Amino acid sequence: MRHGKYPFVIGFLIVPVALYVTFVIAPYAQAFQISMTNWRGLSAPRWVGFDNYRRLLDDGTFWKAVQHHGVLLLALPLITIAIALFFAFLLNVGGKASGGQRQGVWGSRFYRVVFFFPQVLAVAIIAVLFQTVYRPDESGLINGVLMKIGLDPVLFLIRPNLALWSIIGVLVWQAVGFYVVLFSAGMASIPGEIYEAAEMDGASRVTLFFRVTLPLLWDTLQVAWVYLGIAAFDAFAVVAVLSIDQGGPDGATTVLAVEIYRNAFTYQKYGYASAMGVALFFLTLTFAALTLRLTKRESVEY
Amino acid sequence: MSNTPEHPAALDRRTVLRRAAAVGMLATPAIGLLSACATSGGDKENEQVAGGTKSEKNPLGVKEDAAIEVVIFNGGYGEKYATDVHEPLYKKAFPKAEVKHQATQAVSTVLQPRFASGNPPEFVNNSGEKLMDFGALVADGQLQDLTELWDAPSVDDPAKKVRDTVVPGTIEAGSFNGKPFVLYYVSTVFGIWYSGKLFKDNGWAPAKTWDDFIALLTSIKAKGITPYGYAGANAAYYQWNVILTHAAKIGGTDVLKNIDNLEDGAWKQDAIKQAATAWAEVGAKFSDKSFEGLKHTDVQLRQNQYKVALYPSGDWLEGEQKQDTPPGFDYQLMPVPSMSSSDKLPATALRATAGEGYFVSAKSKNPKGGLEYMRQMLSKEGAKGFTEVVKAPTVVTAGSEGFSFPPGVASSQAALKAAGQDVFNLYFDGWYKELDTEARTATNELMFGRINADAFVERIQKKADAIKKDSSVTKFKR
Amino acid sequence: MDAQTTLPPTAATPPPPSTGPKAAGGRRGRGPRSEVRLFAGLGHLALAAWAVIVIVPILWTFLAAFKNTSEIFSSPWTLPAELRWENFGRAWTKAHVGRYFLNSVLVVGASTFCTMLFGSMAAYVLARYKFIGNRAIYYLFVSGLAFPVFLALVPLFFVVQNLGLLGTHTGLVLVYTAYSLPFTVFFLAAFFKTLPTSVAEAGMIDGCGHTRLFFQVMMPMAKPGLISVAIFNIIGQWAQYQLPLVLLPSGYEDKWVLTQGIANISVNAGYQADWSGLFAALTIAILPMIVVYAVFQRQIQAGLTAGAVK
Repeated sequence: MRHGKYPFVIGFLIVPVALYVTFVIAPYAQAFQISMTNWRGLSAPRWVGFDNYRRLLDDGTFWKAVQHHGVLLLALPLITIAIALFFAFLLNVGGKASGGQRQGVWGSRFYRVVFFFPQVLAVAIIAVLFQTVYRPDESGLINGVLMKIGLDPVLFLIRPNLALWSIIGVLVWQAVGFYVVLFSAGMASIPGEIYEAAEMDGASRVTLFFRVTLPLLWDTLQVAWVYLGIAAFDAFAVVAVLSIDQGGPDGATTVLAVEIYRNAFTYQKYGYASAMGVALFFLTLTFAALTLRLTKRESVEY
Repeated sequence: MSNTPEHPAALDRRTVLRRAAAVGMLATPAIGLLSACATSGGDKENEQVAGGTKSEKNPLGVKEDAAIEVVIFNGGYGEKYATDVHEPLYKKAFPKAEVKHQATQAVSTVLQPRFASGNPPEFVNNSGEKLMDFGALVADGQLQDLTELWDAPSVDDPAKKVRDTVVPGTIEAGSFNGKPFVLYYVSTVFGIWYSGKLFKDNGWAPAKTWDDFIALLTSIKAKGITPYGYAGANAAYYQWNVILTHAAKIGGTDVLKNIDNLEDGAWKQDAIKQAATAWAEVGAKFSDKSFEGLKHTDVQLRQNQYKVALYPSGDWLEGEQKQDTPPGFDYQLMPVPSMSSSDKLPATALRATAGEGYFVSAKSKNPKGGLEYMRQMLSKEGAKGFTEVVKAPTVVTAGSEGFSFPPGVASSQAALKAAGQDVFNLYFDGWYKELDTEARTATNELMFGRINADAFVERIQKKADAIKKDSSVTKFKR
Repeated sequence: MDAQTTLPPTAATPPPPSTGPKAAGGRRGRGPRSEVRLFAGLGHLALAAWAVIVIVPILWTFLAAFKNTSEIFSSPWTLPAELRWENFGRAWTKAHVGRYFLNSVLVVGASTFCTMLFGSMAAYVLARYKFIGNRAIYYLFVSGLAFPVFLALVPLFFVVQNLGLLGTHTGLVLVYTAYSLPFTVFFLAAFFKTLPTSVAEAGMIDGCGHTRLFFQVMMPMAKPGLISVAIFNIIGQWAQYQLPLVLLPSGYEDKWVLTQGIANISVNAGYQADWSGLFAALTIAILPMIVVYAVFQRQIQAGLTAGAVK
């Protein structure tokens, strides 16, 4: 039975591994190398050691971007998960229980379908869409209404303290539906007896949610946190297309991906851009390690 | 079976992520060893075509059947002048050559990879919001030296060199450390634009002094029209241009020269502070906060709808807005007003330059073809054709003769004439893209009231100092 | 969702995602009725509000696609005065949205096929065969999940360029495939492990070779998992913006994909102010997604969330 195993194994692995090493592993490795040079993409690169990294430490915009990742990392998962949990709970156990079936509110199927839809759209396209939603004058979707009823327009992408939150709003807009479906799946698997027992004890909806649903969903929540965390480290398309001056005003919305893009493709400072890429890589890694450590908590067995 | 799963799905996401992270950590130090030579790609020399025989018709010695690729920035001037005028001229001169045409709005996004791979197009119109960094291109030897072109005989008169057919200052505008690399083709005058009709209807007159200007803005505001505005989202450089022009009028043209040469404290010169203070006031009192989130076309459209009175721009504006300009609008230019009677330059002084940059890629297949394309552009027929299509004057002296310009360009030409010798220019934005970006950002901060003039000059100076210290940036002097 | 329910139940296998509440058992709840009603009422309000937030921007785009520029700017909230189909004509022909759309279909179709073929091959041997280096290769693949694509962009360009694949759909397909492998291998390896061994052993006894066993026995058995991953990959590759931007540069406009094209028109709108054309292009990009989603929404929801519940 073991006859011919190795030729078969090699035959099956050779193409995928070759593709993967050529297009993924090798470029990543080279990025580390380029980050140690002053390469501007055209003539031969010169080795500069850790100069680029030293310059990073003094770069205010870089630190702004890092800080924004911090905000995104907290806000994006918290807001998205809170909204999605709330909706998932409503859709699954919010309605009355009848005929032995715990039901969501009326129309829950419709809501699930609608909420999930933004997930299938490309972020670049969503960003173009929200450009028009957020426009600062009467031609904007939101400000058009506000100004019609005599209010001052809200300068979503212009006011520095509001701009990043406007961007986060778009990310939440897209993400909520996905997590509603994800959490619904988790909730549906919670045995009805548990709810029943709790209700016998006179537990209200709110108690049900915090005492029963939430602990039993812990694993799924963890996954959601990791996914949204990864999303918080990207955010390129939405910031690049949506924000004014790509990450503005005055860097108020910038993220590392945008700074990498700007340094690489506007200033042609490939070495410096690669150093930022390496920094982003280590940030991502740190996040992954921290999350794994922090969420190390026994999940509830049932 | 070779491998039966002992604990199905025992490997959950947590374990996998942890191990993946560990692999990442371990792999990092070793990764340098793995790296092949991506960076060597840029060195690869493009196979260049051999030269053709020089002749009177072909003084540059272009190979007659060699293809040439032309990339045009599809912005204010469109691409029609290239497809309808210049490219046919080249084809006429070299019928066997293929002319590949291409237009784009984002020059750097689409061309950067071509340069990095050593396969750049022959001829590039490097302009617009996303233009490539001229300084970096020069420093990397990507641009063809244009000396040969300027010394070549012109198309119309073999006794006359090309350099003698253009207005003075053209070659200097495109020179880097004394060497000509860029052809700035369009004669450009900068100023503040208004509708002649709107002003006439309301009895307003263009302002020469700062007091007049503030009075004008006040009376416009009283009419319920936004007096002044520029687009913060992508055109903040229109406004730093106004501030620096104003500063040059106050303190003389050396103010700008110091900036271009990255002199210590150049941005902190008193003239710049004065100008910034003055314009910050205009931003605070006479503009609209929402403009920071708008693109230039949005604000320009508003001016065409008589919702904005004054808008700073170059004289490409009239052509750019052709479709949206209502009949009778009557674009007019006024130079940036004087500050006081102690100004170094008169009220008529203005910034004018040869604008709209074109270059030939030194590492393209057919650089001679690119030079010849420029020579055709600089012929009388090429220049006239350009002016007819885009309604803007070129640097070719003979090109604008006998052409009747639309009102806006006519007014800017008149202003240029009135300025006489008091015409100046600045270069730092082309030389140091990063400084331009910083100036744009700081200008928005200033004009929309988040920082004052001191902070404005402080932060740009900081950036200028950083660039001066950055060894990877090639420096230029004038 | 159907994809998951066929999995053999195991202790650590996460609960199958479901589009409907399936929890069974329990008699009529005893909580105070008014509380239920209040909760349901407020809940409905919140749900309806969110539905509006999701639907309105999209609907508004569709409406704006029929307006002209001055209508868009002066009366964004009214219906278009007339149905200006020429906006779509302009988007389709002048802005080439039709061609970009076709390119996207072509590229995503081919790369999904390659991803599924190579990904399942690799996952299969990594999951079910013991050999030296098995774990090393597995973790090499999976570590790709943690790398930000941005780190690799510049060198990747040169790799593709040196292979002569720049500006070709082939190049883009190979790169898409390579970047989809980590997740595909990760997911499918776990899936192949859960398949019962008895069938495979029976096949081997019947003289089935390794290769035939894979294609004729294991692949059909793994169909639910394959469908989930395929959907996940299709959606992800369809939305790609960065990679095509770098790998299909100027001079290859006829090869561009949809996201690139739309972003380009958005830049155009800055210069030529053809806002209605932009909205029409957006509509052309969004509408087919709605149709596809309406038809396959169960599979799409299951496919996208399947990766997360593992």
